[in-house]
Amino acid sequence: MTRTVPTGEATIGPFFPPRYVDAGANDLTQLEGRPARGQPIEIFGRVVQEDGSPLENLVVEIWQADPAGIYRHPADPRHAQADPDFLGWGRTATDKEGVYRFRTILPGAAPGRLPHVNVMLMFSGLMRILKTAVYFELGADPVLDAVPAARRSLLVAKKDGEGRYRFDIRLRGAGETPFFDD
Amino acid sequence: MSQAYAIQPRDERTQPARIVAGYPQTMLRAPAEPLVKRAPTLSELTGPLQVARRVQLLGGDIAGHGAKQAIGQVIRLRVRVIDEDGAPLPGTVVEMWQANAAGRYIHPNDDDHAPVDANFYGAARLVTGESGAFELRTVKPGAYPVPTRDGWWRPPHVHFSLFGKVWLSRLVTQMYFPGEPLNAQDRILNAVPDAAARERLVAKYVPPTGEPYNELLFEHEIVLRGRKSTPVQP
Repeated sequence: MTRTVPTGEATIGPFFPPRYVDAGANDLTQLEGRPARGQPIEIFGRVVQEDGSPLENLVVEIWQADPAGIYRHPADPRHAQADPDFLGWGRTATDKEGVYRFRTILPGAAPGRLPHVNVMLMFSGLMRILKTAVYFELGADPVLDAVPAARRSLLVAKKDGEGRYRFDIRLRGAGETPFFDD
Repeated sequence: MSQAYAIQPRDERTQPARIVAGYPQTMLRAPAEPLVKRAPTLSELTGPLQVARRVQLLGGDIAGHGAKQAIGQVIRLRVRVIDEDGAPLPGTVVEMWQANAAGRYIHPNDDDHAPVDANFYGAARLVTGESGAFELRTVKPGAYPVPTRDGWWRPPHVHFSLFGKVWLSRLVTQMYFPGEPLNAQDRILNAVPDAAARERLVAKYVPPTGEPYNELLFEHEIVLRGRKSTPVQP
């Protein structure tokens, strides 16, 4: 039997079990077979560590508003109007090339915010959950404004064809993705 | 009607250091830039409440029965999930995974230091009940040597992943067992500076009453967010 051994790495865990990432959990464009409203898009990117090497089996989760900018949660005053077929949450894990992929819906702007998708990362060697956000353009936004101006563009996805957005993530080092303290 | 949810800042001392001596991967992966402080908006103070519609529930009995029973000491974990105000968190998805009794995970990256148990997969996924409580029937996980091979062993532990009410209450943590000598040298448990916070990661042993006669019972509490929050553990 051949075994894949991670290169140059002693894997310590956390050994997220294979069943932790359900097939289809990275597709937010439908719920139980019913299509969500809005424009389907793909958000993908590569996750690397300080030395630039890609990270496999890193868990990525996202949370976002629907195309009307409504969050499916009772704290949102408009939640009763949220798309019933859009959960707003998804999970995946990076492949051998360190690439993650979500199919989702282009989020609308919640009051006072630019359209964005919240992202969280969990992995071996990450002592905390890392939280960031992906935007589709620069502009006035209280969370983006909290990021030092020179680093804001690192949170903007690059358009990669129609409906495809690339958002690479560097955990540490030159061009490091901004992460939030919360 | 909207139900706003406020969160309190974490106490840094209750959370693990981001870079841990003797855990080489942390030095390549912990952000070097200062983390960006932000005032939470609706986006972070909402979060997924219906995760169970996207993932498959796996139940809470993973010890197996009869000919399919896993090898090991059968234990029952009685866990309560509360938020920072002490309010129970019913209906939240809990995911759990652990090594088998020999200290081996069902995972392609775990090496051959110990045998796989054909009757033990080692993962559960369920939803908390009305009082924020859930129970798991499993076998006690074994300790295992870390591939650094420099004397670091992970003590017996169980991983938990929880969602809570909002995006900022998401928690991945570990639960340890009381009285384990390896707890004192574990680099992940001891990355938490505050002793009281480390204590909150250790389950309580409940003296057996004979009912049920063949399971050892442990109780545990997990607090999402706030000053008393259960520390993150990767």
